[in-house]
Amino acid sequence: MFSVILYGRNDSHGYNLHKRAAISFNALAEVMSDPDDEILFVDYNTPDDHPTFPEAIHDTLTDKAKQVMRVLRVRPDQHVRHRLKTHLVALEAQSRNVALRRSNPRNRWILYTNTDMLLVPRNEKESLSDILGAIPDGFYQVPRFEIPEMLWEAAFDRRDPVGNLAKLRDWSVRFHLNQVVHNYMPMKYDALGDFQAALRDDMFAIHGFDEDMILGWHCDSNLAARLALYRGRVDTLVDKLFGYHCDHTRVAAANNKGRATRMNDQDRFIWNVATPYVPGQAETWGWPDVEIEEIRLDRETPYQRYSAGLDKAIEPATMPFVETSLEWQLFDDLTYDLPHTLPFVCDQVVTFPRSTNLMLVATRPDFVSSFAKAWKGMGFTGALLIPQECEGLPPDLPGVERAPFAEQLASAELFIFEFGLATQTATEPVRAGRQMGPIDKKRLKVAERLFKRAAATEAETRPEGRRVPRRFIGVNVIYNKFWHTFTNYVGANINPFCSQVLAGLPREDESLKGKVLKFRGRHAL
Amino acid sequence: MADIGILRAAIAPVRRLWRRPTAVDVAPKAGDDQDARAHFRDGLAKRRGGNSAGALTAFERALALDSDFADAVMARAEILDGMGRSEEAHGEYERARRLWSEMPPGAADRRYIFRRQGYFAFEAESYDLVRTNVRSKILPQLAHGNACLARGRAAEALDSYERALKVNAKLPEVLALKGEALSALGRYQEAIEIFDGVLATHPKDGDTLNARGIARAALGRLAEANEDWRRQFDLLPQTSSAARACVAMRMANYSAAFNEFGLALAKEPGNPYWLLYRLTAARLAGAPAESVTLPADDHWPTLLLAFRTGQATEEALLNRANSPTRHAEARFQMGVLAVDGNPAAARRYWREVVDQGPPALIEFAAASNELARLGA
Repeated sequence: MFSVILYGRNDSHGYNLHKRAAISFNALAEVMSDPDDEILFVDYNTPDDHPTFPEAIHDTLTDKAKQVMRVLRVRPDQHVRHRLKTHLVALEAQSRNVALRRSNPRNRWILYTNTDMLLVPRNEKESLSDILGAIPDGFYQVPRFEIPEMLWEAAFDRRDPVGNLAKLRDWSVRFHLNQVVHNYMPMKYDALGDFQAALRDDMFAIHGFDEDMILGWHCDSNLAARLALYRGRVDTLVDKLFGYHCDHTRVAAANNKGRATRMNDQDRFIWNVATPYVPGQAETWGWPDVEIEEIRLDRETPYQRYSAGLDKAIEPATMPFVETSLEWQLFDDLTYDLPHTLPFVCDQVVTFPRSTNLMLVATRPDFVSSFAKAWKGMGFTGALLIPQECEGLPPDLPGVERAPFAEQLASAELFIFEFGLATQTATEPVRAGRQMGPIDKKRLKVAERLFKRAAATEAETRPEGRRVPRRFIGVNVIYNKFWHTFTNYVGANINPFCSQVLAGLPREDESLKGKVLKFRGRHAL
Repeated sequence: MADIGILRAAIAPVRRLWRRPTAVDVAPKAGDDQDARAHFRDGLAKRRGGNSAGALTAFERALALDSDFADAVMARAEILDGMGRSEEAHGEYERARRLWSEMPPGAADRRYIFRRQGYFAFEAESYDLVRTNVRSKILPQLAHGNACLARGRAAEALDSYERALKVNAKLPEVLALKGEALSALGRYQEAIEIFDGVLATHPKDGDTLNARGIARAALGRLAEANEDWRRQFDLLPQTSSAARACVAMRMANYSAAFNEFGLALAKEPGNPYWLLYRLTAARLAGAPAESVTLPADDHWPTLLLAFRTGQATEEALLNRANSPTRHAEARFQMGVLAVDGNPAAARRYWREVVDQGPPALIEFAAASNELARLGA
């Protein structure tokens, strides 16, 4: 019957976003009763190494919410062409259009709202699907009622949508919440964007949201202006349901700077609108030719993929714990526990697109074979690119491509540089004072040289069309000689020693030291 | 016959100048339409002023004059709801929606404003308020004009569009709407000149091609009208089956109309006009008749279908033909029924459609093409 379209990203928009969104997602799912109903959440421009927002809060969502939700992930590289034109990191028009293009074609209605709304049918026996199924074609809005922050924060249980809806029915009367704020036509009500129900066919006919609106605000009013022209009327559903908003003004959101807020031009996008259509984007709205990843919360979850990958690569521990040390005299000891470290390495990659091509520069053969198994087991289909310069590694591993480093550099979308001892065995103790042998030194020298060159030339060697920097993951680069090497070139956070992994983007250091490092890295000096 | 035919052909272009120049059919004024609107306006003003009881009375006065005035029904429902009389309001909300949805949708090949359903009294009043306060902007004038034009108040619409054009004289969308208003006022040549200008810069504007075709047909320039519709048809994507079907019907391309209305019916099986036109196209193209199940209602299109399928009489049809549009639709179907056995009668019926019917109707164009085919 209907597709709800929402958007956001994995950040902290406004106050207590995680709770508001969980309350809202669960409440929206609760009022769905048609098998075709869906919640389309466009996760826009979350960094690649983060899970999407719904994935991050999945444990606070009901089973029903997880079943009906489809997460469409727009990657930073897909947003970057807008980055210089806007101060915003999440774009509403683009997000909503991406979802509209990919919405269930069996659904008659599209409902636009936001991730902090609860919709309460006035007849408790009716679902939102029932309501939308019974009304004639048109364009519908409802007034928005505010819920004081302490009510939703202190009294809502985010996993109890039935209870929350019941509480709202009670509070609306006890606390006089229901105040309709009228506005001029075509807006009809204030805060109209929190409930706009339009026919899917109409949205396609008028070419979706106007994707020139990239400065924030008024996308809803522009839609109302255009649909009001197209349909003639803006109808109300106030007799059927009330819409409540989890107020969140304790902390201003990124797009709210009070009177200094930058916003889309009201004259251009509201008061001088002269047509329902946006012909300039008739063929391109919603990025029909762009591959947008779809993630589900009720199947093939990141945890399922992660654990499936590790189960392929490592056996369960047989001891209650293992030991290591960061005592100072062990600084030169490059041994590390592979089964313990591999989960932290996989953690760094599991949020990336499955088609990612990863360059793997490593010295330990067992690290390479284990990671290759885990990579495939996690469902990745992209190639593992291992430069020919890395000697002594297992041949003929599935999914691995060998070629000269210089040839592979422009295909890599993600890097792992592992600095272990090629001669470390599976049974020898870890961090017990082991020294490097000649083979270890030779392999590590190659790894270091390739790392420096990759990091120093990252901007010039990106795959064609890629505009965002590539991430570097270092394995066994904490509290040993490669700590400084890695962090000279990569802006990594401080991580716990036992994870053995650092990750970040190439540093942009314009100081003399930075320039020297870059020069030396580029020429492998 | 030959002499009369030549004479008729000679004076046909001139006759059109003498026709009653209605291009937009309006619901028959019960004599109280303007009073009902006045009470409605009064109700809106009282409501905005916080006088709910006064507003309720005003809306009820409007409804006493026109019980199907859906905008007043909805406004009354909202007042009742706000007063706590929600049970009573519930039925009124539903009634308003039903009244709107039962209004005939316009032809699918026309510009968006003619495809909408509604009285647009609320919109006319609301945008009048907006344009008083949000000055020198296009949308309030445009929306006000659209609301007026859709309800047959073409002169007011023209005024609104001209005010919008004072803000930006070159907007093709507003110029095209001005052309529509001129056409609705019977000022076809002026409308054509406006459409010519729009199409010079936007040659693929299908809506304006359609409108210019209608204006040209109104002036008897049928070949040029057909050329516009042919171009519009070619521009319409395959997925716009309803629009393509309507254009084909205007051009009397009945085989195309038959196929496209079939596709349109698959998407909108409940649309009685698509079924009517498909049956009509089949009859005129000489295709075998299909058996149909009529909707179980007494709406006007159902009566037309009943007549089309031999289940209603001419008298029953004409008794309900209480507007120029309905009259033209009825006469057209009578012509379709007559054409095989009595072409002269068909010619008479279709002549009536062309002489008295609104030029915007599909039937007007189809009848014009039929008369040309019959050599009338």
